[in-house]
Amino acid sequence: MGLFDSFGLVYPAALYLFALPPLLVIAYLARERPRQVVVSSVIAFRALRAMRGKRFGGRPRLQWTFFLELLILCFAVLAIASPYVAGKGNPAAVVIDNSAAMQAQTSSGPSRFENIRKRIAAALSSSDSEAALYVTAPQPHEVGVFHGADAVRAALDRVSVTDAPDDTAALVGLLAQLNANRHLGRIIFGSYRPIAAPVPARVEEITAGEPIANYAIGSFVLSRESFGAAALHGRATVANFSRSAQTLALTVVADGKTAARAQARVEAGEVAALDFPNLIPAKLYRAQLEPSDGFPLDNVAYATGSAVRGVSILLVSPTPAHGRSLRSIPGVGLSTVPPASYSPTELAAVDLAIFEYAVPKQLPAVNSLLVMPPPGDPIFTFNVRTAAHLDLTGWLPVDPVTDGVNFHLLNLRSGQYFGVHPWMRPVVSGAGGALILAANRQGHRFIATGFNPLPYLGRANLPMSILTLNMLGYLADFGGQGMDLRTGAPWIIPAGVKQIVLPSGRKETVRAGESFSSATIQGIYTLMAADDSQTQRAVNLADLATSDLENAPPLKVEAAGRAASEQAAVRTSLTPYLLAAIMLLLVLESLLVYSRGRPAIPALGR
Amino acid sequence: MLGLPEEFTPDFIARLEQLRIKTRREYAGLGKGFHLSPRRGSSLEFSDFRHYALGDDFRYIDWGLYGRTDKLYIKLFKEEEDLLTYIFLDASGSMGFPANDRKFEAARATALAVAYAALAAGDRVMIRVLGGVGAPPKAPAFVYGRHRIVEIARQLGTLTPAGEVDLAPALAHEMVSIRRAGKVFVVSDFLAMVNSVERALGIFTAANMDVSAVQILGGSELDGQGLHGDVEVIDAESRERLRVALGPRERERYRQTLQRLSREIRNFCFRSGLRYALYTTDRNFHDFFLRAATGLGLVH
Repeated sequence: MGLFDSFGLVYPAALYLFALPPLLVIAYLARERPRQVVVSSVIAFRALRAMRGKRFGGRPRLQWTFFLELLILCFAVLAIASPYVAGKGNPAAVVIDNSAAMQAQTSSGPSRFENIRKRIAAALSSSDSEAALYVTAPQPHEVGVFHGADAVRAALDRVSVTDAPDDTAALVGLLAQLNANRHLGRIIFGSYRPIAAPVPARVEEITAGEPIANYAIGSFVLSRESFGAAALHGRATVANFSRSAQTLALTVVADGKTAARAQARVEAGEVAALDFPNLIPAKLYRAQLEPSDGFPLDNVAYATGSAVRGVSILLVSPTPAHGRSLRSIPGVGLSTVPPASYSPTELAAVDLAIFEYAVPKQLPAVNSLLVMPPPGDPIFTFNVRTAAHLDLTGWLPVDPVTDGVNFHLLNLRSGQYFGVHPWMRPVVSGAGGALILAANRQGHRFIATGFNPLPYLGRANLPMSILTLNMLGYLADFGGQGMDLRTGAPWIIPAGVKQIVLPSGRKETVRAGESFSSATIQGIYTLMAADDSQTQRAVNLADLATSDLENAPPLKVEAAGRAASEQAAVRTSLTPYLLAAIMLLLVLESLLVYSRGRPAIPALGR
Repeated sequence: MLGLPEEFTPDFIARLEQLRIKTRREYAGLGKGFHLSPRRGSSLEFSDFRHYALGDDFRYIDWGLYGRTDKLYIKLFKEEEDLLTYIFLDASGSMGFPANDRKFEAARATALAVAYAALAAGDRVMIRVLGGVGAPPKAPAFVYGRHRIVEIARQLGTLTPAGEVDLAPALAHEMVSIRRAGKVFVVSDFLAMVNSVERALGIFTAANMDVSAVQILGGSELDGQGLHGDVEVIDAESRERLRVALGPRERERYRQTLQRLSREIRNFCFRSGLRYALYTTDRNFHDFFLRAATGLGLVH
């Protein structure tokens, strides 16, 4: 192979710029042109040796700076031409699976990941002059390009396994992309999953890990037991990925104390749900699955009490004091506005709205409770009749609103009866008409009452309190469950959070509103706000597909690449080296010229 | 102060008032003064005898001589008159370069210092400017009285050095308007060929005048005018161009040439009985003038 087989230019036309050096010579000659200076008399200068020659620019004095600048100019022209060196060998691509499933122990002792790492290191040879290293989790990405097998091995040592599952589609896409790259000589892929036949010719797969029995926690979430209750309800799913039925026991530890324990007999390949009612309020909950197995990551799950979302209520009322009793309900956040200030946009941040003595001008976009609405509005078109004393006559016996309410003890005073409503059904009736109406309209729930239950919320009036909580619970649909965050899945950093402490103890400075993608470890993440307040979030693997270590589906990679025998030229650009040399020469010239110092020539003329 | 150069501090003025011009010969003045004149007068300085004539003041009869010769002789005394002082200030283009040396300013201060010393001693002063642009004194006229220094300073203050001046013809032209001999001060950089300078100063010696030459050179002018490398130098007066390559050796040679030129002018002055002083502008003016005063013919 000749010289020109190993060297080339991306932009050969740039070599025309080599016409520039003569311009540099001209510039130098122009620079050497003597300055004209008026002196008092030339009489004493006559004695000096006159300059030789009278050609353009005077005597050209090509100093070392000229040759230095000529060299810089030549380098610059070469850099524009983008020279490269074409290597003989083909670069390799190394893809190592660092997803959570690689943490599983092998029968020989070390984890799958350690096993694969050693085997990849052994598979690298001295002919791999250049290799790009890729990892698969949480998303497949390139770690870097390394020159020499030793550099790749060193980079491999720095790669760590994550708690995050991999994105199978993205991984297959990466492998297909690498396979289509004709510059690559070979692709080493190390994973617990094989590649479905036919395996592309250039792909060398290294598979580690035989199928193993595994018991896993699929999910572990908390929710509020009922509307207004302080106790939480835990629910977990457990899976048996073994070849025989197994009794799986789950112990929930709340802030270090055992709070509950449940077990279930789960058939092979089946999933069971375990409930933990009335969990004591705590900050942190940890669920531990027994028996243990070779993949301990999914035998543990975490949850936080603060993650159980409360119910936010907007009270539109001319008497905001009535909302005071609502604030005492656990998990309820209340904001109050007078009817004159109400805007439908305020509903965007709340779960339900209460309109007391008021009716919105358009149908609310959230579930709403209308307390003693005024008649004649165009939306609800209530027909009401005011009464000094309300007599209860009937109620629906099976209804979430009336559930558990002893209406015999409910003593209603003044209020209003509703007439027949076109689209709301009566739930509680009185002597003069309906006292509670309910309906679903445009996907939202609405309840209207002919009396005001809000001032009576509390233990002093239990029937009224139960009725009120029933109504709010029905409208709030029991609020939301706890957040279910998974390893590898990014989440939006809440407002006010400046720093996040990872389960490893490492702190990461963050900005609110941005995506947080470093949740690759299972555990508790502490979110630190600027005002030093802390909230905690639990991040779990919660991926039964990953936990199923018995059945690892093979990856299907399209065999679209060329044969390995078709060597692709590897171009190594020389431009960065040329630019570095130019910078070095410029610095050298600056230093030398500065240290030599140019003599100051005063202006002698006027 | 009153338009005088900044060099004229009260202390310097006081020192100037203590000076008076001393000439190597006696010159007739235009009025009473303190210099001995070749004219007969009434000073205490004896001049000659003559025979007594009728009407002579017999207080001047030398009775001792009468006793020895038995003839009456009258003693004659010299007259004391003022001194006619001529100051020629070179304002040619060369005096303006190098600009940062302020050669012309130094030459003007020298001329004014001499003028003030003369006026303070009761002598008459005539200042003539060679070359330059501005408002120099036009008609050749003497000024008298120390207060006239302000007027002279204002006139010289408007001058800017310019133009080409060939010293010998210029001074010869000035000599036409000078009718009486006296003391002559020539203040110039004398940057001309030595024989040209000799010819110029020889005009005054031929006219029996007492000449003092003050050469003004710039500090950087003596040191190669701050030039380095390949330079095309242009003569400020003749506009002659010369391309030279100035390095350390060339600068030294230039310096030696200029010093030799100055030395030759000084030697000529000493040979011809002229007074000479060299002032380089990097020195303190007061020190120079007060030290060089005696050499220039200014005594206490």
